Amino acid sequence: MRAQLRAELLKQRSTTTSVGLLAGMLGLVLFAVLLHGLGLPAENVGGSSEQLMVFGRGEFLGALFAALVGALSITSEFRHGTIRPTLLVTPRRGRVVAAKVWVSAFIGAGFGLAASALAAGVGTAALWVRGIDIQLDGGDYALLLAGGPAAAALWAAIGVGLGAVLRNQVPTLVGTCAWLLFVEGLLVGDIADVAEVGRFAPGALGEAISGQDPGTLLAPGVAAVLLALYAAAGAIAGSLAITRRDVA
Amino acid sequence: MSATGPTAARSVNDGAGPLLVDADAGSRDPAIKVSSLTKRYGEVLAVDEVTFSLDVGTVTGFLGPNGAGKTTTLRVLLGLAEPTSGEALVFGRRYGELADPASRVGAVLESNDFHPGRSGRDHLRALALAAEIPSSRVDEVLALVEIEPAADRRVKTYSLGMRQRLGLAAALLGGPELLVLDEPANGLDPSGVHWLRSFLRGFAEQGGTVLVSSHLLAEVAQTVDQILVIDRGRLVASGRLDELTARGRTLEDVYLELTGGTS
Ligand SMILES: Nc1ncnc2c1ncn2[C@@H]1O[C@H](COP(=O)(O)OP(=O)(O)O)[C@@H](O)[C@H]1O
Ligand SMILES: [Mg+2]
Repeated sequence: MRAQLRAELLKQRSTTTSVGLLAGMLGLVLFAVLLHGLGLPAENVGGSSEQLMVFGRGEFLGALFAALVGALSITSEFRHGTIRPTLLVTPRRGRVVAAKVWVSAFIGAGFGLAASALAAGVGTAALWVRGIDIQLDGGDYALLLAGGPAAAALWAAIGVGLGAVLRNQVPTLVGTCAWLLFVEGLLVGDIADVAEVGRFAPGALGEAISGQDPGTLLAPGVAAVLLALYAAAGAIAGSLAITRRDVA
Repeated sequence: MSATGPTAARSVNDGAGPLLVDADAGSRDPAIKVSSLTKRYGEVLAVDEVTFSLDVGTVTGFLGPNGAGKTTTLRVLLGLAEPTSGEALVFGRRYGELADPASRVGAVLESNDFHPGRSGRDHLRALALAAEIPSSRVDEVLALVEIEPAADRRVKTYSLGMRQRLGLAAALLGGPELLVLDEPANGLDPSGVHWLRSFLRGFAEQGGTVLVSSHLLAEVAQTVDQILVIDRGRLVASGRLDELTARGRTLEDVYLELTGGTS
């Protein structure tokens, strides 16, 4: 297993994919936080939960891009055919999937930390420039900076699982983006009865882990446990899907 | 090509032909043993009750027209696909049960199984890490297939011939006893084919076992000492090259007749 972990780490480091995703993510974090922090009317960013929502763009984008890192770690092997040499040297397919889960979670946590730190830093600066009082305390910042990486790491595992089940790169990436950017927005939107269920959706759990919207969402600790269950289910489903099906 | 004649090691099987199951099984497992192998894809019977056994030290051509079932047989042999029925063993075990597969079997199924943005060297290093092969071996195989100067370039800059060599380098990483190559000469220019032939001959001379598939008899005729012919999923002929041609016909005639003359 150590051998597979080292191999997966090298695979991640030896293409520009991860660095490209990191740059894209940081750019989007900057854009989203500046847009909200500078653009929203002062009365809409004055409260603590509103400020958490702006800073929480870091957690959200960190989780999304970590999921893409995880998904790509497996779909790119099918896309480029490297899955064949990979499985020839490691016929125990469960090990390959497990190594991808751990390495993607590790890199995903880094993405989550970078995104959360950038969002918190830039968001704070933007509000400060406008003379708006920061309503968040040290505990809020700590939760943002700890919850972001945790949510992203778990989402990376979900990405590996989804990619292992679907195998095909485009549907996996489109599906992940569509879910987080669109479907969950509807689930945790304005319809109260739907939101009651929607807060158990994995994207909402990620936001809850970093302390957002405590009125609607679950408590961070509960959310972390539930998202970890999603991640474990994804990893197991992915492992079964890779082990049971032929590789052409 | 007298150099391709059978060596002492290869004539253990003399007179029996590769179709027959090894007489001295038990003392030494055959390199490959395929028994009543069947693989069905929905309606398509890709491989139909195929049985053969290849002794250690043999160089075998696996011939048949496109769609005959060669790749499917090799996929099952290498543990990438599950058989519908029957079994395919390497050194007496299923591929996935080999303790250290890279040190026993090296295989290339497709000529372009690389991430285009990764260097050839990193491709090999990742495989070496997974197989716990020292990184010095990466340099060795790069030298062996003569692509060292390009090793640090991204694979997307490689010609087809260089990709074939990189694939072969990956197969050789663990110092395998058996090489399984699917259509390795496809798309190679004449000098590439020549290089591949002499490489395989060298590998065999050092005692290695080779199974090489092709839809073109001429590609492998000079390299192999026995052939298996598969057509529409069924094994239609097998034997030593010299035996098959001993009936007064050219090998080409035999092949065309067996495979319906459409090759
Ligand atoms: N993954 C697959 N799904 C469905 N049919 C397949 C698959 N792989 C191969 N086949 C079919 O099985 C038959 C044998 O194919 P193959 O083993 O690739 O032949 P060869 O390598 O001799 O050209 C063909 O009819 C092919 O279309
Ligand atoms: Mg084929």
